[in-house]
Amino acid sequence: MSGNNKKAKLAVFKFSSCSGCQDKLIDLGENLLSLIEKVEIAYFLEASSRIDPGPYDVALIEGSVSTPHEVELVKEIRKNSRIVIAIGTCAVYGGIQSLRNWMNYQDVVKQVYPKPEWINSLEKSTPVSDHIRVDYQVSGCPVNELQLFSVLKQVLTGRRPYHRLESLCQECKRGGNVCVMVSRGIPCLGPIMVEGCGALCPSYGRGCYGCFGPMIDPKPDALARRLEEIGLPKEEVILRLRGFTGWSDPIRRFLERYERE
Amino acid sequence: MIFADQVLFRGSVYSGVEDDLKSLFNVAVSRGYRVIGPKLVNSVIRLEQLNDFNEIPYGYGDKQAPGYYRVVNNGGRFRHGPDSPKRFLYPPELLLFIIRPDLSVEYPRFEFYKTAFFGIKPCDLAAINVMDGVQGELGDEYYRKVRENLLLIVENCVEPGDTCFCATMGTGPFAFKGFDVAYTRVGSGVVIFQPGSDLGVDILSELSLRPAEDEQVDFLRNLMLDASKKARAEFTLENLPETLEMGLDSEVYRKIAERCFGCANCNMVCPTCFCFDVIDEPELDGSAKRIRIWDGCHSYSYAQVAGGHFRKSLYARYRHWVLHKFVYWIRQFGTFGCVGCGRCITWCPAGIDLRQVVRDVVKEVETRCRR
Repeated sequence: MSGNNKKAKLAVFKFSSCSGCQDKLIDLGENLLSLIEKVEIAYFLEASSRIDPGPYDVALIEGSVSTPHEVELVKEIRKNSRIVIAIGTCAVYGGIQSLRNWMNYQDVVKQVYPKPEWINSLEKSTPVSDHIRVDYQVSGCPVNELQLFSVLKQVLTGRRPYHRLESLCQECKRGGNVCVMVSRGIPCLGPIMVEGCGALCPSYGRGCYGCFGPMIDPKPDALARRLEEIGLPKEEVILRLRGFTGWSDPIRRFLERYERE
Repeated sequence: MIFADQVLFRGSVYSGVEDDLKSLFNVAVSRGYRVIGPKLVNSVIRLEQLNDFNEIPYGYGDKQAPGYYRVVNNGGRFRHGPDSPKRFLYPPELLLFIIRPDLSVEYPRFEFYKTAFFGIKPCDLAAINVMDGVQGELGDEYYRKVRENLLLIVENCVEPGDTCFCATMGTGPFAFKGFDVAYTRVGSGVVIFQPGSDLGVDILSELSLRPAEDEQVDFLRNLMLDASKKARAEFTLENLPETLEMGLDSEVYRKIAERCFGCANCNMVCPTCFCFDVIDEPELDGSAKRIRIWDGCHSYSYAQVAGGHFRKSLYARYRHWVLHKFVYWIRQFGTFGCVGCGRCITWCPAGIDLRQVVRDVVKEVETRCRR
């Protein structure tokens, strides 16, 4: 996308989500100003009421696909955009709302809504990549604005975006944190979750709850066994792993096995 | 194993009291060193810059076990925490250069301070010597700049911790080379000082110490022998590289890989692990930053190269780490890569004990050979 002075058209779409990841884009502050020099914001309802019908150079999609309407919409966006980037854990893995994927859909709708017959949603909340080809994914609940910015910078300068997919532990220790699991016995999902958040929770003495999703080649079996060893009941281990990114492939496959054991 | 006599009669031995430690600290400060030493931060002994001698938490002890660390206020002796001198000599994240759109290159200017490590343990001293071997004369410039002006004040370990095995690795629990000053808190307020370099002699001359008496030297010798018995693993260095090499296909590694997360905490806390990744961060103005960050051989992407991946399975990555420390390193650099500090044991969130792994592989090979 480098080599010409024409601004790239950027669109930001929201699906089933809390809008927190879009807000992270706005949180970029000064960096947002430098971004605007390179892109034209063509569609971003959280920030502006202007609607440019496209086509777009870069489309950011926040949120999971959880209604029949969203299935159609996400396909339209794909057709209308050169590069599609899923942003946030909802768009990348299905999000917290994919907790319903583990339950009976009708039961859930009845529990949540007084008039369930008015609800027209899908039985499962699924990632964008289940429906269309996604070029890049930036996970997190919410995304880390600097990581999102980094990916945008790389895309806009014509580079294939790269960020490390290793364990959160590495980022945590590089940042000077002490392991909360070893020094305080706090259950932490960091050893199987991906870096990128700046090890936010361990920096404040909490265990990672896995909102960025699994690292590359994760070992949920080993971690679950260890969490049980340090005293976390199995039901708690399951809830923690399900919580934010349980619907990601490696965690889901593990949980389906582990729950039956 | 280090023989007590090797340590005790290399230099002179002086006797002082705990106040002399404070004087030693102040001499380092007055000579313009920034002093890095042990400090209690959020219930963990960290290595941090100290402004005052009293920040050193003497009187605190710790309990260390595989995957377990707690500080206790029990009047005991603390050991090294998760930080090692590596953090200061070889920072976890370092800007290498910025390349401008016209392809000109701008190098960062770092400020280098005269640095004193105060009260680090012999294992960490040994780790600095190991890192010196790796960096050599043409090694990392940042490392050399910090290293050039280092003052090494080492505290000998009278009570090694439960994950320590420096006596097996021949690096402790008493310092025997490469330090400026070594001291031992022998109890009852008495501190024994030993200079290890001309700088050490010079610095100690500013303190009012007396030559140690014969009984004190005998006492110290016994302390050393007792401590050396504690910091041991159940293997020896004899033929270790050859034995481990014969155990390449050991089942032990595969068993460990079932417990290992591949999180690389061991690489991060290891005082000698020096591997890094290089990240390029392009900016919108067409410039780019090149940044070096700590990486480790347990990382999946570490052995991923154009055209493939040469250590896809975690057991192969774990095995590589062990073999690098105990086999390849000594052939390449003349020392073992492991100094027996035991950080990778204490700080492994899975609680894996490297000592047991090496012991088990050695046993397996020995059994096989006997058959």
